[in-house]
Amino acid sequence: MQKQTLLACVAALALSPGPAMANGETIAVMTKNQTNPFFQAERVGAEKAAAQLNAKVLQYIPTQPDSIPEQMSQFDDIAVKKPDAVVMVPVDYKAMVPGVEKLNAAGIPVINATDRSAGGKLVSFVGANDYDTAKATGEALLKAIGGKGDVVIIEGVRGALTAQDRLRGFTDAIKEFPNVKLVASQPGNYQRLQANQVMENLLQANPHVAGVMAANDAMAAGVLDALTDGSSKALVVGINGTKEAIDAIKAGTLLATGDYNGFLQGCIATTIAIRYLRHEPIIDSIVMHPVVIDKTNYQPYDMPVDKRSCPTWDEIAK
Amino acid sequence: MSATTLPAPPRLALSSELMRISFRLLAVALLCVALSVASDAFANQANIMNVLRQSALLFFMASGLTLVVLTAGLDLSVGANIGLSACVAGTLMKSTGEPAYAVAAALGIGAAVGWLNGVLVAVLRIPSFIATYGMLWILHGLTYAYMAGSTVYGFPRGFRQFGNGFFLGVPIPVLVMLASLIALALFAGRTVWGQQIYAIGANPVAARLSGMPVRRRLMLVYTLSGLTAGLAALVFLARLNSAEADIGGSLTLPAIAAVLIGGTSLFGGVGTMFGTFVGTLLLTLVLNGMNLLQIDSRWQPLVTGVIIVAAVWIDIRTSGRKT
Repeated sequence: MQKQTLLACVAALALSPGPAMANGETIAVMTKNQTNPFFQAERVGAEKAAAQLNAKVLQYIPTQPDSIPEQMSQFDDIAVKKPDAVVMVPVDYKAMVPGVEKLNAAGIPVINATDRSAGGKLVSFVGANDYDTAKATGEALLKAIGGKGDVVIIEGVRGALTAQDRLRGFTDAIKEFPNVKLVASQPGNYQRLQANQVMENLLQANPHVAGVMAANDAMAAGVLDALTDGSSKALVVGINGTKEAIDAIKAGTLLATGDYNGFLQGCIATTIAIRYLRHEPIIDSIVMHPVVIDKTNYQPYDMPVDKRSCPTWDEIAK
Repeated sequence: MSATTLPAPPRLALSSELMRISFRLLAVALLCVALSVASDAFANQANIMNVLRQSALLFFMASGLTLVVLTAGLDLSVGANIGLSACVAGTLMKSTGEPAYAVAAALGIGAAVGWLNGVLVAVLRIPSFIATYGMLWILHGLTYAYMAGSTVYGFPRGFRQFGNGFFLGVPIPVLVMLASLIALALFAGRTVWGQQIYAIGANPVAARLSGMPVRRRLMLVYTLSGLTAGLAALVFLARLNSAEADIGGSLTLPAIAAVLIGGTSLFGGVGTMFGTFVGTLLLTLVLNGMNLLQIDSRWQPLVTGVIIVAAVWIDIRTSGRKT
């Protein structure tokens, strides 16, 4: 597969008289799975940043989505292969800490992306804040329904950090609007099908729902399908900013989606990794501002991921 | 005094199979009654139709799988099969705009995968657990590579009617489910081929020695399992208007659970299509009930597990079933 041919190239490079340290660095990029478009965007961002700065990227992706043991063994692989730096999205922010420490012991700099790791020595963190994004998106929904009415939350996977933070963000947004009532909060497990069935069931008990907060865009899509059957006029928001969500916003079916820009995170994390290796100044923590994408500002997000280009350092530093 | 035996008191001439199905139906009926009492949103036509429509997807997966389990086999690849079939059919439909291609692709790929499983199990004699588990990985890999992290969505309205439309007030997937229930039940219970499938499961050695074409029947059941997975993929596409690489992953275990709750034995030879239908209903009702009753997401896995174990335990107690 891809990974093996890339490894072969790196091995060949390592054995040949190498180019000067300032170019041709190898960055290992670890993401959670092959199926979520968010991580695909992050990987493309990493590759673009590396290409723009004259470095190489090695992708490490668990074959079984979100597999903790598999990512652990990838940490072991990387500690042995010794790339110049690592950009890492931990499958589990607590369980992967020993892996990070292994890389620290091997002297490989680690840049943390997307989910903040609970431990280990990290050069930098680049990510968005689930809580802030969810709260801002929730507030956008509540304003749109006029600050009153019944609201439903479709949660993510109970026990996942992102789901917990997004749930807290949603509920705190609701607390700010005293005339809004949370009538149901049920898990959709980040799955389109489950969210669809859950929403159908909830509509039976709560036919007058005014707004739905879905913890990710796949679930928001499932909710929208459930709503098109009946006469419900509920407004829906999601999180992630996927292409499907942008299309739905264009079509007017989805109200808004919280930006969780995988492409940018990949770009920035890889840029920081390369700059660190070249002893250039970096920022040790970049938490992206929550941005809610809706009908007014979706244009820049409408471009497919592989056509975008990474911002330069000056743009990032602002 | 002569010891004359009294004639046996008149009994209902119910076969044991019918008795077990009745008990399982009773469990479902009890659950419905409990839910109607606990929530006034349950017992109305819209909700019942929803539950039936939601169970249609699960039933399609579980129906072909029942035939496989009847032969003492297992098909772990059904979920991944749905994933691949739905993704290919979906992208084909999106690019050509023709639902007919999607139907052909989904059923074709589903059946082809099933046929391959059949070759692995019946011809190469690989144990079905391993063969279908390996197939699961192959299918996942193909699907991930094909989709490359993207989602396909937005299908023609006419096609979506298959999932969302109504006919005489009943959702179309429900009608298709009832039709396939009757067809497969007749096939399993009333045809020679069906009888042979039961025999193969109950005693494969005797079946082979008595001249039954065991290999061909096994290939048939695995192909049918794949075909019904393809049908499930079509329902998925029509219902959810989209397809992505990992849709099948969470569907395999519930399908197997539906088959087993319905009374089909893992050791083969025992079980009915109608039992699988009841098992499907039970699982779908549990989710419906938890949503209507607003059971906190922390407790939902626990509740689901308890109900499943209780349902099978009651079944074992009332029927003397050993597995």
